Amino acid sequence: MLTDQELDEVYTEACHRMTEVGETRTPLFLARLALLLMKEVGDVPRIRAALQAALAIPERRGE
Amino acid sequence: MSGAQGYHEYFDYRHYPLRPPRLVDGVDPVRHPVAIVGAGPIGLVLALDLARHGVRSVLFEADDTVTYGSRAACISRRSLEILDRVGAAAGTLEEALPWTAGTSYYRDVPVYRLQMPMDGNQRFAPMVNLQQCMFEQVLVDRAEAAADHIDIRWQTKLAGIERRDDGVRLALQTAKGDYGLDADWVVACDGARSAVRQALGLRFSGTTYDGTYIIVDIHLRSDYPTERRAWFDPPTNPGSTILMHKQPRDIWRVDYQLRDDEDPAEAVKPENVLPRVRRHLEWIGERTDWRPVWISAYRANCLTLDSYVHGRVLFAGDAAHLVPIFGVRGMNSGIDDAHNLAWKLAWILQGRSSERLLQAYSAERVFAARENIRHASKSTEFMAPPSPAFALMRDAALGLATADPYFATLINPRQSSAIPFADSPLNASDSDPLPAGPAPGAVLAECPLQSAEGATHLTARLGLGYTLLALTDKDPRPVLDGLPLATIWIAPRPLPGAEAWDATGRLFALYGARPSAFYLVRPDGHVAGRWATLKPESLRAAVGRALD
Repeated sequence: MLTDQELDEVYTEACHRMTEVGETRTPLFLARLALLLMKEVGDVPRIRAALQAALAIPERRGE
Repeated sequence: MSGAQGYHEYFDYRHYPLRPPRLVDGVDPVRHPVAIVGAGPIGLVLALDLARHGVRSVLFEADDTVTYGSRAACISRRSLEILDRVGAAAGTLEEALPWTAGTSYYRDVPVYRLQMPMDGNQRFAPMVNLQQCMFEQVLVDRAEAAADHIDIRWQTKLAGIERRDDGVRLALQTAKGDYGLDADWVVACDGARSAVRQALGLRFSGTTYDGTYIIVDIHLRSDYPTERRAWFDPPTNPGSTILMHKQPRDIWRVDYQLRDDEDPAEAVKPENVLPRVRRHLEWIGERTDWRPVWISAYRANCLTLDSYVHGRVLFAGDAAHLVPIFGVRGMNSGIDDAHNLAWKLAWILQGRSSERLLQAYSAERVFAARENIRHASKSTEFMAPPSPAFALMRDAALGLATADPYFATLINPRQSSAIPFADSPLNASDSDPLPAGPAPGAVLAECPLQSAEGATHLTARLGLGYTLLALTDKDPRPVLDGLPLATIWIAPRPLPGAEAWDATGRLFALYGARPSAFYLVRPDGHVAGRWATLKPESLRAAVGRALD
């Protein structure tokens, strides 16, 4: 598990890398990142749980 | 950009007369050891701190009263510790509102609970809120009580600086005529638009963020407790953020971010500000009447000078560095500047130290400014995403945090705290490490003590010079004869001759005293060195780093 400080650092790095990639290619960047992290996790139940958690996008009221 | 509807609502401003000195050939015939440009919070804290060391100072303030409006409204625990040393904590705490917690919302869902460090060891709350004008009045009152050391010259404007080898000649402008004044040292505490910085042609380096914030103070009677509330993407300001803080005398601070497509000059007009504030207050359930008191626009800056020492001209506070408001590091870091500088300048004026000590001031406080900028940038990037990528990641983090507290840490606003100087030239090497306690360069951790006079706290015991905190069951003083420091013997239990003892049993554990620990502490509360055993030679060398 990352420490608060480590999470903070890699979060900010991801923001900067995505800014460099640009808005239009960001979905592709994120898809590649997802595949690379799946390889690193290497555990199907954990990846499925993450997919499920990512799906629960909070909706705006009235949407 | 500011709306001046109701400054008078904060409190009754006292107006101070212009009293030019008696002149000889257009010059103040008195040579002043220290001239401070700007009688704001940093200049006033510096003057009070210098007075403690017996150093006289003269301050120049263009205005005839304290600052208009609430501005820097949050005072940190570290600042309160410093204010206590200069005799201004009691006055500050009279009306200030203490707080420890906060809530962040994503749309209408609470996603993060801020809990600042607060335990039974503490003397002060982690944060108190007080309008800057009222805080400055507390400092002015204390300065007037020390009039034998502090001379505030109101309605006096800096017009020019002439640097000389052994001092500085200031050109001053008043409605009753201009005059010159000679000083050994000048300290620029004249804020973000520092006239001193401009006169010397010095430039900030760093970055400026594009986002604009509107800062509104309103008069509102509400029983909601004093805490920090932040809303991300609320229905009342979609796609943007809103912050709220309570201040004394029924004043509430509302900050909100403008969208990129809004014109700041238009957005700051009351007819555009008030409907937005009304919409938000109604949404959070504030139903009583309210009225605006102050409106201003703000842009986040991450800027610092590369050195705060330029010959005989020194810089502190916003004149030296600008940090974004998120995390309240602006005024609080300036108060730390003043406290760091006061003892060093005093020792140089008293002939105890060489001017090299000022290089330590600059190195430590430039480092602190860069650290503050680093932390505040993170907060700013979360509050006001500088690119679509930052906005996307923030929305992802906020959305995940509603279900998984692991991500809530990303929402932490990272409130101001004292910056440790791990690489200060004044630090002794940490070659005799202790199992716990502040390392060289860090500030003391607070802890209650029992003394013959009653209950007290560790950070309240420091003197004007270096202090040795001797945590031991053997009287350390016979070994320390002739060393230029004051010793406070703190025993594990009441022992004859000990100044204090660790009645709670927490101090010895907190400071890694197993069974003994010796902490050499600077007048500003930073640790200069620490040892498990008493070594007079190590102590002499450590103090010597400041004395040569």
